[in-house]
Amino acid sequence: MTKQPDKIKRRTTVTREPKTRNGVTAVILFGLVAGMTGLAFASDPLYRIFCKVTGYGGTTQVAEAPAKSKIVDQMVTVRFDANVNKLLPWQFKPVQNTIKVRLGEQAIAFYEATNVSDKPIVGTATFNVAPFKAGEYFNKIECFCFTEQVLKPGQMVQMPVTFYVDQSIIKDRNTVDVKSITLSYTFFASDDQSEAEKLQTTQFITDEKDTIISREVVPKG
Amino acid sequence: MQNSRRIILRYKSGVAFLITAFAAFMASGANAAEPKPWQMNFQPAATPVMEKITEFHNLLLTVEVGIVIFVLALMLIIIFKFNAKSNPEPSKTTHNTPLEVIWTVIPIVILIIFSVPSMKLLFFMDKAQNPEMTLKIVGHQWYWSYQYPDHGGFEFDSNMIPDEEIKPGQRRLLDVDNQVVLPVNTEVRLLMTSEDVIHNWAIPAFGVKLDTVPGRTNETWVKVTKPGTYYGQCSELCGVNHGFMPVAVKVVSKDEFKQWVAKAKKEFAKVKAAPVKVVEMNTPVQAKVR
Amino acid sequence: MSDTAHADAHDRHDHRPTGWRRWVYSTNHKDIGTMYIVMAMIGAIVGTATSVAIRLELHEPGIQFISDFQFYNVLVTAHGFIMVFFVVMPALIAGFGNWFIPLMIGAPDMAFPRMNNISFWLLAAALVMLVIAGLIDGGPGTGWTVYPPLSNADYHPGMAVDFGILSLHLAGASSILGAINFITTIVNMRAPGMTFHRMPLFVWAEFVTAVLLLLAIPVLAGALTMLLTDRNFGTTFFSPAGGGDPLLWQHLFWFFGHPEVYIIIIPAFGVISQIVSTFAKKPVFGYLGMAYAMAAIGVVGFVVWAHHMYTVGFNVETRAYFTLATMVIAVPTGVKVFSWLATMWGGSIKFDTPMLYAMGFIFLFVVGGVTGVTLANAGSDIAFHDTYFVVAHFHYVLSVAAIFAMYGGFYYWIGKMSGKQYPEGLGRLQFWVSFVGVNILFFPQHFAGMAGMPRRIPDFPDAYAGWNMISSWGAYITVVGAILFFVVLWKTLKSENAAEANPWGVGADTLEWTVESPAPFHTHEQTPSISTQPAE
Repeated sequence: MTKQPDKIKRRTTVTREPKTRNGVTAVILFGLVAGMTGLAFASDPLYRIFCKVTGYGGTTQVAEAPAKSKIVDQMVTVRFDANVNKLLPWQFKPVQNTIKVRLGEQAIAFYEATNVSDKPIVGTATFNVAPFKAGEYFNKIECFCFTEQVLKPGQMVQMPVTFYVDQSIIKDRNTVDVKSITLSYTFFASDDQSEAEKLQTTQFITDEKDTIISREVVPKG
Repeated sequence: MQNSRRIILRYKSGVAFLITAFAAFMASGANAAEPKPWQMNFQPAATPVMEKITEFHNLLLTVEVGIVIFVLALMLIIIFKFNAKSNPEPSKTTHNTPLEVIWTVIPIVILIIFSVPSMKLLFFMDKAQNPEMTLKIVGHQWYWSYQYPDHGGFEFDSNMIPDEEIKPGQRRLLDVDNQVVLPVNTEVRLLMTSEDVIHNWAIPAFGVKLDTVPGRTNETWVKVTKPGTYYGQCSELCGVNHGFMPVAVKVVSKDEFKQWVAKAKKEFAKVKAAPVKVVEMNTPVQAKVR
Repeated sequence: MSDTAHADAHDRHDHRPTGWRRWVYSTNHKDIGTMYIVMAMIGAIVGTATSVAIRLELHEPGIQFISDFQFYNVLVTAHGFIMVFFVVMPALIAGFGNWFIPLMIGAPDMAFPRMNNISFWLLAAALVMLVIAGLIDGGPGTGWTVYPPLSNADYHPGMAVDFGILSLHLAGASSILGAINFITTIVNMRAPGMTFHRMPLFVWAEFVTAVLLLLAIPVLAGALTMLLTDRNFGTTFFSPAGGGDPLLWQHLFWFFGHPEVYIIIIPAFGVISQIVSTFAKKPVFGYLGMAYAMAAIGVVGFVVWAHHMYTVGFNVETRAYFTLATMVIAVPTGVKVFSWLATMWGGSIKFDTPMLYAMGFIFLFVVGGVTGVTLANAGSDIAFHDTYFVVAHFHYVLSVAAIFAMYGGFYYWIGKMSGKQYPEGLGRLQFWVSFVGVNILFFPQHFAGMAGMPRRIPDFPDAYAGWNMISSWGAYITVVGAILFFVVLWKTLKSENAAEANPWGVGADTLEWTVESPAPFHTHEQTPSISTQPAE
């Protein structure tokens, strides 16, 4: 387009770029492909770290107990929400619907989980807070979600979560409007069921007893 | 919850009276916002958010139609003026710096004009002022369930009415057995999640469309300013019956809402008591134990 | 070294395989290009069949003939995969690219002819795998986006999704090898004087596309591998049960997926630039701006992916960023459109079929482009996400525009490729039928989408019946256009109408028009030397 074909002259000798140059180019390009593939796999840990650090997507923070001196008088309502994945035959609900806490003040809330199946199952909980922007300021000190939970058939457990909401939430222009934060959990059947299988072996021996347990512990509904 | 749902389903298919009861509810939905035949524009807005979306879109559409007409006009001129017959000698122009600067700068200006209301709208949608109540929405393959955590936590499922059970006045693929009921002029916090795959809870007239993602809870808000019945459909491919899990919301006055809550508490509490019995059965484990 | 190369060239001259060996073992860029184009035609027949099945099902409310909704979802999935990976990419990138990159830059062949052969057969194998995926275990009903958890082993047990993943892996490997070949050829094998700033815009387009492929496909490959191991080997990259996040898939998929749409459309830009310049009998207006606009679109294309995910539940700042970044793309795109118009302005245009397609491309691309601005805004996108409005948008910019570029490129180059010129009258008729068809097909989908009709549903509320019926009729007209195309192809190949070396006259000034038609098996064995003024 920008060159004129009428000026093309044909040479009689062939001058080709050396083949090695093509080889070098190809090696560089393959390197680029390998790099991008590596990046794709690296994205998994990087994404997790990113969410943890920035509270992205409502990821909560893990913290030590807060200093008493940091408590301010402003209140925030924390709402509790519970979900169970379809593939996990558990019931799971918060014991209290909401708690009002002062910013910076440590609080404890309870959740209740019941295994309604006839097999021991390991569950693991995912969590986030809504609105997402509060994630950066929502600190958990102790949480059942830090570990996996094993529940025997019919077994019901109450599980605590201790937390505080960082008082700097009111200093952030973005989050100053947040009056209530929902803390939400979803229990999944853990991919690693080895703990449950151990229980199951013992369960065969004490089958009668287990049946009794499942009749005794009836969820309150 | 898992078992209760199965019970509910069995209960419903066995006894049709729930459906009959709610048919009465739906008949009273006077000013329904729903798609109309040959409709070319948005459904009428029922929330401040949708009003703002409509307004912003009107701006976008006006400018965009202008751009298309401008390009079309240029092309028509080209067709009539610069065809081989009318213009046998092509010009040799390949550059015109001022012109190139103009057609770079003018789009930038237009985009800046767009971006201001765009950002305003976006941040307005994001901010829930101070919701008075909460509606919890859970997506399932292939129905929705709803909880009212601030009203005693009763919950119910909302299934599409199959074609063969549609009664006159009901909307095929849109009407459900149990509609969500919300009070008018009330800010409602919507919490959404899913217990299986990703779904999307959407109501066009509300300007609400949010994925329900398993393992995470999304939050948005809605404030409906006009009573009526509003319809939407699942808006994320979720498997076989993706097209058959509609959303139907009935918006009523605050008083009517209170009455409904009182009634619904009894109605759905009964169903919810079911799991106690289930525990005694030997429920097969559904968990995929690897 | 040059002696060896000379000897090589000489060898190849003597060794010209015939019969099936010529094709199966082919290392000739023209033959491989032809094979890609034939494959794209086969893909187009299958892909069109799926879309017609979809439109027949949506012709009226209620279930017409697809009562198995999984099958409907499989059709939707197959339509997307086939059209993207087995029609547009093989035709626009690999088909025309293989044929004309060496011809346009004065190279005798691609840099790695045998790798070129492998690329083709990998893609053929991928197509076979995809067909197998569709036929076993209920097929993959996940949409081309394959979002987990729907695509994981709990919700899609069986081998269908695994075969789909392997198919994409093969197609991806094919694309990567092809891209390496293209880049190496363009970087190292340009004739003396053919500087980067003198390369035809089609070569520029293929170069940018190859770079995008090289950067985007490995990310898809990584994500697909993770999905495969999630499904089969108990990893939990995308499964919350093991600490993964299904949204990570969406990020990775769209990090590939958004550049992918430019991978589809940038070669089309290249084809249109050649056609417009040829028929206007003018050099491209603002050549450098055109070249770098494509590069800019490619670069920005990598930082806008999450605009496909506005409704997943993002922090507001994320949506604000992606809104602004996405809108930036409108600027280089505008430069391209206005430069095409300016190229035509003052031209002496003969409206032959390729030019009709170029004009159609530009207009319909603008129609699809402006709705792209609407969708770029996270605020207004809430109203459109996952509705038929989006379907209309991306079919205008991708399907209609890309297919118009394919048709246009075919009419433009068929003389060079086959040595026969197409029948002009029938070609124009084919254009008009297609133009009317696609507009009737896709324009009403804007309305259905605004009224709220979601995508990927086998039945719709009765209110959407009107626009859907019109849309379906548009699909049938478009199919008539496609059948006409095959008639044109048949008549061309059977005709006695031998094409000249340059059927288009002075406007066609790129190197492929300096060789005879059909292009001989070996071309540019004697390197042409381009001595001209640098690009203005």
